[in-house]
Amino acid sequence: MSAGFGPLLAAVTLLQSNGATMLPEWLADVLRLDGLGVAGTAIAALIGAFVIANVLLINAALAGPWAKRKIAAAFWGKLGPNRMGPGGTLIIVADALRMLSKELIVPEGADRPAWDIAPIIVAGSAMLGFAVIPFGKIGGVQVQLADPEIGLVLVFAIASVTSVGLVMGGYASKNKYSMLGSLRAVAQNIAYEIPLIVSAGSVVIFAGTLQLSGIVDAQTETLVSVGGFGIPAWYAFVNPFAFILFLTANLAEVGRNPFDIPEAPTEIVAGYQTEYSSVYFVLIYLGEFLHIFLGGALAAVVFLGGGAGPVLPGPVWLIVKMWAFFLFTQWARQTFPRVRIDQLIEIGWKGLLVLAFANLILTAVLVGFLEGDVEFAFASLQVITA
Amino acid sequence: MSSDEPRTAISGSTAPVTDTRDARRGEGVDDRFNSKLREAFGSSPFILTKFDKFMNWARGSSMFLLQFGIACCSIEMMHTFAVKHDSDRFGAGVPRASPRQADVMIVPGTIVSKFTPRMKRVYDQMPEPKFVIGMGSCTISGGPFQEGYNVVKGAEEAIPVDIHVPGCPPRPEALLYGIAKLQERVANGESSPVVVKPYELQQFSEMEQDEVVDQLADEIDEDDLAMRYNWADSP
Amino acid sequence: MSTGEEQSGDDAGEQAIEPTEAKVAELQSLLGDHVLDTEEHLNAPAIVIRPDAVQAVLSTLKEEAGYDHCSCVTAQQYPDRYESIYHLKKYADPTDEVSVVVPTARDDPTSESGAPVYETASWHEREAYDLVGIDYDDHPDLRRILLPDTWQGHPLREDYDQDRPQIVTLRENANPLLEDHRGSEEEGESDTMFLNIGPHHPATHGVLHLETVLDGEQVLDVDPDIGYLHRCEEQMCQQGTYRHQIMPYPDRWDYISAGLLNEWAYARTAEDLADIEVPEYAQVIRTMGAELCRIASHMLAMGTFALDINGDFTATFMWAIRERERAQSVLEELTGQRLMFNYFRLGGVAWDLPSPREDFFELTRDFLDGLPEATREFHDLLTNNEIMQLRTIDTGVIDPETAKDFGCTGPVARASGIDYDLRRDDPYGYYDELEWDVVTEDGCDNYSRLLVRMREVEQSAKIIDQCIDLLEDWPEDEREIQSNVPRTLKPERDTEIYRAVEGAKGELGIYIRADGTDKPGRFKIRSPCFSNLQSLPAMAEGEYIPDLVAALGSLDIVLGEVDR
Repeated sequence: MSAGFGPLLAAVTLLQSNGATMLPEWLADVLRLDGLGVAGTAIAALIGAFVIANVLLINAALAGPWAKRKIAAAFWGKLGPNRMGPGGTLIIVADALRMLSKELIVPEGADRPAWDIAPIIVAGSAMLGFAVIPFGKIGGVQVQLADPEIGLVLVFAIASVTSVGLVMGGYASKNKYSMLGSLRAVAQNIAYEIPLIVSAGSVVIFAGTLQLSGIVDAQTETLVSVGGFGIPAWYAFVNPFAFILFLTANLAEVGRNPFDIPEAPTEIVAGYQTEYSSVYFVLIYLGEFLHIFLGGALAAVVFLGGGAGPVLPGPVWLIVKMWAFFLFTQWARQTFPRVRIDQLIEIGWKGLLVLAFANLILTAVLVGFLEGDVEFAFASLQVITA
Repeated sequence: MSSDEPRTAISGSTAPVTDTRDARRGEGVDDRFNSKLREAFGSSPFILTKFDKFMNWARGSSMFLLQFGIACCSIEMMHTFAVKHDSDRFGAGVPRASPRQADVMIVPGTIVSKFTPRMKRVYDQMPEPKFVIGMGSCTISGGPFQEGYNVVKGAEEAIPVDIHVPGCPPRPEALLYGIAKLQERVANGESSPVVVKPYELQQFSEMEQDEVVDQLADEIDEDDLAMRYNWADSP
Repeated sequence: MSTGEEQSGDDAGEQAIEPTEAKVAELQSLLGDHVLDTEEHLNAPAIVIRPDAVQAVLSTLKEEAGYDHCSCVTAQQYPDRYESIYHLKKYADPTDEVSVVVPTARDDPTSESGAPVYETASWHEREAYDLVGIDYDDHPDLRRILLPDTWQGHPLREDYDQDRPQIVTLRENANPLLEDHRGSEEEGESDTMFLNIGPHHPATHGVLHLETVLDGEQVLDVDPDIGYLHRCEEQMCQQGTYRHQIMPYPDRWDYISAGLLNEWAYARTAEDLADIEVPEYAQVIRTMGAELCRIASHMLAMGTFALDINGDFTATFMWAIRERERAQSVLEELTGQRLMFNYFRLGGVAWDLPSPREDFFELTRDFLDGLPEATREFHDLLTNNEIMQLRTIDTGVIDPETAKDFGCTGPVARASGIDYDLRRDDPYGYYDELEWDVVTEDGCDNYSRLLVRMREVEQSAKIIDQCIDLLEDWPEDEREIQSNVPRTLKPERDTEIYRAVEGAKGELGIYIRADGTDKPGRFKIRSPCFSNLQSLPAMAEGEYIPDLVAALGSLDIVLGEVDR
């Protein structure tokens, strides 16, 4: 892989730089829906969304009941599920059916509409975030549902809607543990959303755009070439500091160890999801994993070149990167103790936030000088001195 | 006090022994597997039978267990989950802390009077279909503590039990066998025949009036839930 | 190597007659008129006092004579009276004991409470009130502790009718601080939230119920509510014969694999009571088995503590269980059981080491050889982890004076810098012949308690290693595993004894009063967890919920022993 990486990357880059059609447009074209006008576009977009949603559901289904247990088993030195189907994979079917067919218990005194909507928001918001994620290209087709110019902002906005779901669910359950969990979720999300966005902001300064496909395109050049092995200009290599900040804040954003305090099984039972059973629990569970994948996809798009990679088509690479992030969360879960709520807030506000802003301003200064935009650089410096 | 001595006098009891014994066995098939569809159709069309069979397979293949430690047996239960015995191989190794998300409750230990109402409450909080494995002698009869003044003579006094795993404590292998047996039964659509239990939670005001109730009338509110133990009737 | 020399029990008793008389005289001069009478218990002199002089006597003994450890309060019923016995010791020298006997009238058993003097007496007296029905005047909070509030009668009284029906409620618990708020605020809007943690909760290690009052995430008030596993162990032991029927029960007090340690508590007490000698060879086997149990028990303590801090079933927990499995397989080879060993007999052990002996030694040595690597892994994962240190250092602090007042023993006391270990201070078994150290830490916090346990595992391994060396070289014709013990033991009427051993959790003591039959007249268990748990509010009040959970985990309670 090492020797062929550079040229292959170049080839892929070439392929990607060809003008690409978006997935819905391509679908409309192939299925000859053009004649239907706006309705045709809408139908094509729905079909595209259906395809992408299913790909994600398959991933989440693989991750939740099976991969998570297998990965944990590998850490513990045991086997994990291995009796149901090849490698125990049929446990996915069994788990899903069993949970869906269970009794749905509505606690007495639950705040009804909120209680029902919360799981849908949790799962839905994570899914919605994928609408703007560029999965990369297959044969000139850009696998992306929509590519608005404010893509990055939009995806952060959508991802943080999840916390509304958590608060609603926790509050509406009329359970003290759920209540504690939802309050923790709010505190955590506010504390970590800002460093997350600010550290991503430094990338925006580099790329000069908020459009996600633009950010991906900006990472296609080769940063340095070492003996034919081209290191691409992924922002993780350009600005590793921002990448580490982003990963840390992202762990907190998706609520994994050491920042899993909204769930905190040994402290507050299961946090906001304590009272949920059956279908709603499936939705929350699914939402959690989709959220991890969304976090992974964002990290991939913003810092790891999106769907860039040799040989395989873009979407496959993006999914591989999502799984790498998932593996990272599982690794953290096995090894890190959980921080306390006050420590979490302290790390967020006093540590990450300061570092993220420092990173942002330094990046701004640097980019300003590099690009000869001295005025911009001085403006940034003035911000520092102020 | 031993159980094999015949009892000549039953002091302070309100119900004769036979009531309790008969109450343990219900009639007919347990309906907790029946789907809404089958209720609607009333009979068993081919497609629904196949569907039910499939669902039973799903339920029997994967189970979330309630993270529920009571006494000595919970240590062996932990070992059953953990590295060497690894009950997750059989799809039964995910302990959930919240009863709402659990399918199987393993009752691992001695149940005493103070805990029974709580255990009953936890059992009631689990969503159907739910199953119970009684682990160890204490959940069968009270085990070595059967003669204690405070010990409930088996989990079945309060909740229905599908599988009893004897031992004090049962080895992890034995518990695994119990889990496998439960899965087999669930996959075959069988379930526990026990539907009625002698010790029920009820409102204090609805209890039969007798000496004990009179004595406690000042201490307990009418609306409070309470459980009444007729120790003399215990097996 | 003649048998019996190491048996301190009655030898020590006979030799100690002179000092005992001197001690009684000293106590009498100290307490003056308060002493109505003196008795002789096998372990210590006893002074009989009036029920209204309890506080005066106890505080004199504590302040002036230095008896700073109230290890146990036993209550019992005689045909003509009720009696509370305060077993007092010194942390500096646990062999210096004195018993304070407080007889009360049969028709009105009321006595003054010792709780204002020794904090730990508070729970012990509540238990005495609950089970025997003695009233304690001036007690801060006299209510039932083990049985439900609505229980009728006191079960350890002779006239208790076990067949009477009982009613137990399931009702909402009240916020104990609500009243305070009503007083301070006009409209009665409360700032605090009452939270029931347990009895079914993943962090309570069994069926403990913590009545917690929170202000946001901070714990304002926590009150452990126990009794959800009260299995009438004392009654069970009072119904069993000394020789064989009692021994299986100790296994089930501290069921976290500490069986042999508990069995030793009973074996030691009963052997001293009935004047039985134990062959030296059996003592070495006992010592080895007990330390294996300690390793297994500490492994689970570390694993569950990691579970409490990490918050989920993680690698640390699983790896601890893996080490436990290894210890258990050695114990299974030795005793034939994984958890409930029932291996000790009065006067020795049930059987010799399994044959071929070489295989057993090899298995044990393999286990010991693997331990340093395992402890290194735990140090990597736990003690050297910055987040772990952030979480545990300076949380759940209990200073030595408070710990003594609560009667804390074992790793909890040793982590607060109290150098107290019965294996060294009140030697039994083969410990005084072996090379090992008592581990103490001065941090007083959750982290120290974890460290103490980890270092004790190393010391235990050292002890086992020496025992294996001894056993390997033991001449074949001197392998006596049991001394000659009569088939039926009937210790003399009204002999009383309190003896303790160092269990995995601390001082595990047993008080037995013989009534002339082959069953004990009163069998009282002094559980280390019972006293250690009582100190939880002192550790956790004012901390955050996660620290409450961590403090509970670091106490390493086991409910079977707390509730008995």
